[in-house]
Amino acid sequence: MDQLVFALLNGTIYGLLLFMVSAGLTLIFGMMGVLNFAHASFYMLGAYFAYTLEPLIGFWLALVVSPLLVMGLGILVERFILRRVHAHGHAHELLVTFGLAVVIAEVIKMVYGNFPVEYRVPPELSFAAFTLSGLDYPFYRIFMGAVAVAMFIAIYLLLTRTRVGIVVRSAIYRPQTVEALGHNVPLVFMSVFGIGAAMAGLAGAVAGAFYTTNPNMALELGVIVFVVVVVGGLGSMGGAMAASLLIGITNSLAVGSDFRMADLLSVFGLGDWAEGVGGLLTINLSSLAATLPFFIMLLVLVLRPSGLMGEKE
Amino acid sequence: MALRNLLGSTAAASFVICAGAVAAEPLKIALVETLSGPQASTGLLYRDAVNYQIGKLNAAGGFGGQPIELMEYDNQGGPVGAADRVRAAISDGADVILQGSSSAVAGQVTEDVRKYNLRNAGNEILYINLGGEAMELTGEKCHFYHFRTSPNAAIRVNTLLDGMKDAGVLGDRVYAINQNYSWGVDFQNNTVAGSERLGFEVVEQTLHDVNKIQDFAPYVARIQAADVNSVISGNWSNDLLLLMKAVSGAGIDVKFGTAFLDQPGNIGNAGAVAEGHFLSAPFNPEVNPEETTAFVEDYKAVTGHYPSYVEPATVFGVMLLGEALKNVEPTEDGLNAEDLALALEQATVQTPMGQISMRSDDHQVILPMIVQEVSKDAAFKADDTEFGFVPVKVIAAEDAVQPVQDSCNMKRPG
Amino acid sequence: MKIGTLAILTIGVALLLALPWLVSDSMLNAAVQMLIAALFAMAFGLLCGRAGMLSFGHAAYFGVGAFAAVHAMNAFNGEGLLPTPLLPLVGAGTGMISGLIAGYFSTKRTGVYFAMITLALAELLHALAPHLKAVFGGEAGISSFRMPAWGFTFGSLSEVYYLTLIWTLGCILLLYLFSKTPLGRLALGLRENAHRMRFLGYNTHALGTLIFAVSAMFAGIAGALQSLNLEAANYVVLESHISTAVVLNSFIGGVRVFFGPAIGGALMTFFGYITSDLTRVWLLYQGIIFVLVMMFMPRGIVGEVIERFRHSSLRGLAQTAGTMALRVASLAIAAFGGVFMIEFIQRFLSSDYRATAGNGNWPDIALFSYVWSPVSVLPWAFGIGLFAIGIALTMIVNRRAAAAQEASA
Repeated sequence: MDQLVFALLNGTIYGLLLFMVSAGLTLIFGMMGVLNFAHASFYMLGAYFAYTLEPLIGFWLALVVSPLLVMGLGILVERFILRRVHAHGHAHELLVTFGLAVVIAEVIKMVYGNFPVEYRVPPELSFAAFTLSGLDYPFYRIFMGAVAVAMFIAIYLLLTRTRVGIVVRSAIYRPQTVEALGHNVPLVFMSVFGIGAAMAGLAGAVAGAFYTTNPNMALELGVIVFVVVVVGGLGSMGGAMAASLLIGITNSLAVGSDFRMADLLSVFGLGDWAEGVGGLLTINLSSLAATLPFFIMLLVLVLRPSGLMGEKE
Repeated sequence: MALRNLLGSTAAASFVICAGAVAAEPLKIALVETLSGPQASTGLLYRDAVNYQIGKLNAAGGFGGQPIELMEYDNQGGPVGAADRVRAAISDGADVILQGSSSAVAGQVTEDVRKYNLRNAGNEILYINLGGEAMELTGEKCHFYHFRTSPNAAIRVNTLLDGMKDAGVLGDRVYAINQNYSWGVDFQNNTVAGSERLGFEVVEQTLHDVNKIQDFAPYVARIQAADVNSVISGNWSNDLLLLMKAVSGAGIDVKFGTAFLDQPGNIGNAGAVAEGHFLSAPFNPEVNPEETTAFVEDYKAVTGHYPSYVEPATVFGVMLLGEALKNVEPTEDGLNAEDLALALEQATVQTPMGQISMRSDDHQVILPMIVQEVSKDAAFKADDTEFGFVPVKVIAAEDAVQPVQDSCNMKRPG
Repeated sequence: MKIGTLAILTIGVALLLALPWLVSDSMLNAAVQMLIAALFAMAFGLLCGRAGMLSFGHAAYFGVGAFAAVHAMNAFNGEGLLPTPLLPLVGAGTGMISGLIAGYFSTKRTGVYFAMITLALAELLHALAPHLKAVFGGEAGISSFRMPAWGFTFGSLSEVYYLTLIWTLGCILLLYLFSKTPLGRLALGLRENAHRMRFLGYNTHALGTLIFAVSAMFAGIAGALQSLNLEAANYVVLESHISTAVVLNSFIGGVRVFFGPAIGGALMTFFGYITSDLTRVWLLYQGIIFVLVMMFMPRGIVGEVIERFRHSSLRGLAQTAGTMALRVASLAIAAFGGVFMIEFIQRFLSSDYRATAGNGNWPDIALFSYVWSPVSVLPWAFGIGLFAIGIALTMIVNRRAAAAQEASA
C-alpha cells in the first residue's frame, strides 16, 4: 500500500514538472499554431542561468531572475526570427525552432562544457518532508510540485479572470477578428511566447537543481513534452495538466510493476504459447516504461485527435 | 577501372622513383571517436589521453625513425557514423584504429575491421578497443586483429565485489540495477554469478531503459522494499547520477558499487550524495604515490587536467602498443599488422599501477584493478569538490584476471 | 523538359559515372553516403513536397528497409532468388508494406496531427527495437557480409558506389515518372485542396495512404542501400534525429522543387562529412545553416536558384548571375568573419585553454595558421570587422539589385 502511495506521489510530482514545461508549449501552439522544438531548450537555459546566477545573487533570487532572462530571450526569438518566418508557413516555423534548439545546445556546450555542472539543491531545502514506511520523502520534490501548482493557478486565473486573458484566449481562436477589434495581436503573440519561455525557464531553474543540469537535458525532455501537449489537446491548459499527470503516473506505476503480456495471456491458458513466442510478449512492463507515453499519444491521436480536452482540430 | 589502375600505377611508379630520397610512409594511427553531439564528453577524454601518449611515443623517437601520425575522425556518436569513418580512415592509409566509447560502436568497428581484413589479406589493419567493455567483444566477436586494453564487465564486477566484501559493506542482500543493453546485462549476470562465491543473495535484478529515465523515484521504492545492504550498478552518466541522488534523497542507507562513478562531473554534481560509495577502476592517483604523482602531474602539464575516468587506462593501452612497436620492423607503407598483432600478444609494460600485459587467447588486457571509495580524505579531489577517491583495495593483475570465454574462437593466421 | 535542364542532367550523370576516377577513396565513400541521403530525401520529398504531408517519422521506413535487407543478405547469402544487386528490392517491399499500414493510420489525420502520428509510430518502433533482439540485434545490431554475384565481388568501394548510383538514379527516374502519372498528379491536389478533392469524389484517405506507401517504399530502398554499404544494420537508424535530418535536408534543398530534396540531402551529408573532422562545433554551424535557410531562403537552395533564373531573358540571366556572384562573395566574407569568431571563442572557452589560462595569464591561441592574443583587440576586431563588412556589402548588393529591378520595371 505504501508502495502504491509512493508511486502515485512520485508520478504526480513528475507529472507536475512535465506540466511546467509543457504549459508554455501548449499556449504557444494554441496561439500561433507552432510546435516549438526549442521549447525544451528554454527549460535547459533556465537551469544554466540559475546555476550561473546562484553564487552571485543566491538561490531564491536566481529562481526569479533566470526565468526573466529566458523570457527576454524568448521575446527576441519571437520578434526577430519567428515573426519573419511566419509568412513562409508552419513547416518553416517548426524547422527554424529545430535549428534554434541545435544552436542553443551547442552554445551551452561551448560555454559550460560537456559535463553536468554543479547545480544542486541548496542545503536549507534538502531535508525529508515526511517518512513513510522507512522511506524519506525529499521536501524539494514537494516544493517542485507546489511551484507547478502555483503556476497553474496563476495562469488559469490570468486567462479566465482578466481582460488580458480574454484577449489572449480570443487571439487563439480568431486572430484576425481580434486584430480588427483594435488589439495589437503581434504584441500579444510576443508576450505569450515570452511568458511561455519564462515558464519553461522557471521549470528548468527549479528542476535542474534536483535532477542534473547538463547539455542533454533539453533533448531528454524534448519529445515527452510534445507528447503531453498532443495528448492534452493542443492549446488546452487544463488538458496539458491532465496529460502531464496521466503520463507521470502511468510511467511511475509501470516502472514499479513486473507485469508481462504473457501473464495476462496465461489467464486464458495461452501462457506457454506466449513464453514460446517470446519477443514483446515476455518483456517486463517496467522495461517498456519509456514507450508508454508514445503508445498513449498514438491511442489519443487515433481515437480522439483533439486530445483529452482540446476543442480545436 | 583500367584507367584508374593505370593512373594508380603511374603514381606508384613515380613514387618509387622519388623514394630513393624519401623515407617509407609513417605509421598512421586513426582515432575514430565521438567528438561531437550528446555523447561527445567521453570521446574527447579518449582523444586527450591518446594524444598525450602518442606525443610521448613520438618524443621517444616515434616508429621507424619517423613520428607516428595520429589522425582524428568524428564518428558522430553512432555505429553508422563509425562504420563510415573507419572506411575513411582506411582510405587515408590508417594501420591501426583506436576507439573506446560505447560497446555498440566497438561492435561495429570490430566487425568492419574483421571484414576488411578478410577481403584484403596481406594488407590487414588492427583495431585497439580502448573502452568497449561488453563481454562479446572478447567472446563471440573476438578475432585476431582486435585487442581490448580496458577491463571488461567480468573484471569490473568481480573486483568490485571482492573489494566491497573486504571493506565489509557488501552485506548479504544485494540489489542489481542496470541499463538494459549488453553492458548492463553483462554486469548483472556477473553480479549474479559472483553471489555464490562470496555468499550473498541478489534479492532483485532490474534492467531499465538507457538514458531515458528522468525520475528514478519509482526504482528507489523498489530498492527500499527489497531491504538490501548494497546496490551494484554498471550505470554511467545521467543514469547513475539520478539513481544515486534519488536513493540518497529517500534516506536509504545502502552502499553503491559502481563502475563509472569517476566520470568527470559526477562527483561535482552529486556532491555529498556520492560519499561512501564504491568504484572499481584501473587507476587511482594515490596508489604507488611516487610514480603516479609524476604521471598525473605530467599529464596535467600537457592536457590541462588530471587524468580520470577512461584516461589512465587509455594511456596504459597506448603504452602497451608502444611497447609492441619496439619489436616490429617498419615496412614501406607503415608496418605489417600481423607482426604488430603478434608483438602485442607478447607485450608487457610497467605502468604506475603495476604491470599490465596482453592475453593472447582472447586479446583481453590483464591489468591491476583498484577498488576505491568516495571520501573527503582523498589526496586528489574530483571536480573541485572536497571529495575524491581513496583506494580501498589494490587487486593485482593476476588476481583480477577472469577466465577466457568459451565463445571466443579465434582464427590465428598461418 | 527544356534543353538546358537536359544538358545539366546529362553532365551531372556523366560526372557521377566518372567519379571513381576523379576523387579519392575517402571522397568516394562520402559520395555513397550522399547518394543514399539524396534518395531518402527524394522519398520524403514526394510525401511532403508533393502531397503536403509533413512526416516526422520517416526513419522508421528507412530502418525497416535497412533491417529487411540485412536479414535477406544473411538468409540468401547473395545467391538464388536475391543476389546482392537485387537486395534493395527487399527494402522496397518491406518499406511499402510498413508504409501501407502506417499510412493507413496516419493519413486519417492532417497537418500537425499527421506529423505527430508519424512521430509516435517511429518513436514506438525505436523504443521497442532494443527489446526485440531477434529482429534488431540489440545495441550491437545485425551484421552481414556482401557476397559476390553476377561476376562482381562487391568487395571494392567503386563496385559499391556503382551499385548505389544505379539504384539511386533509377529510383529518382521512377519518382519523376511517378509524378507524371494520374496518381502523382492527384498528390498535388491533395496538397492544395483536400476538401475539394473529396467533393470531386476522390477517396482522399486511400489516396494519401497510397502516396505514403510509395514514399515509404523509396525510403526502404535507401535503407537497404545503406545496409548494403555498411554490411550491418543497427537500431540507431530508427532514431528521431534521422527523421528530422531528412526533413531539414529536404527543406534546405527545396522541398517543392523536384530535385531540391536530393541536392539538400547530398549537400548536408557532404557538409557533415567534411566539417565533422575539421571542427568540434560543426553541429553549431549546421544549426545556424538551418536557421538562416529557413529565414532567408524559404524555398530552399534549389528553389531559390530556379526562382531567380526562371523568368529572365539571356541578358537578364547574365545580370542575375552577376548579382548572385556578388552576393555570394559578400556573404562569404561575412561567413568567414563569423566562422573565425566562433572558432576563436570556442578555443577561448575550451577546457584545455581554461586549464592553462588564468591569473592574468592569457596565452595566445593558434587559429588559421596565425596566433592571436585574446586580450588584444586584434582578433576580435578582425572577426567582427569581417563579419560586419560582409553584411554591409550584401546589403549594398541587395539594394542595388532592387533598384535595378525597379528601374527596369
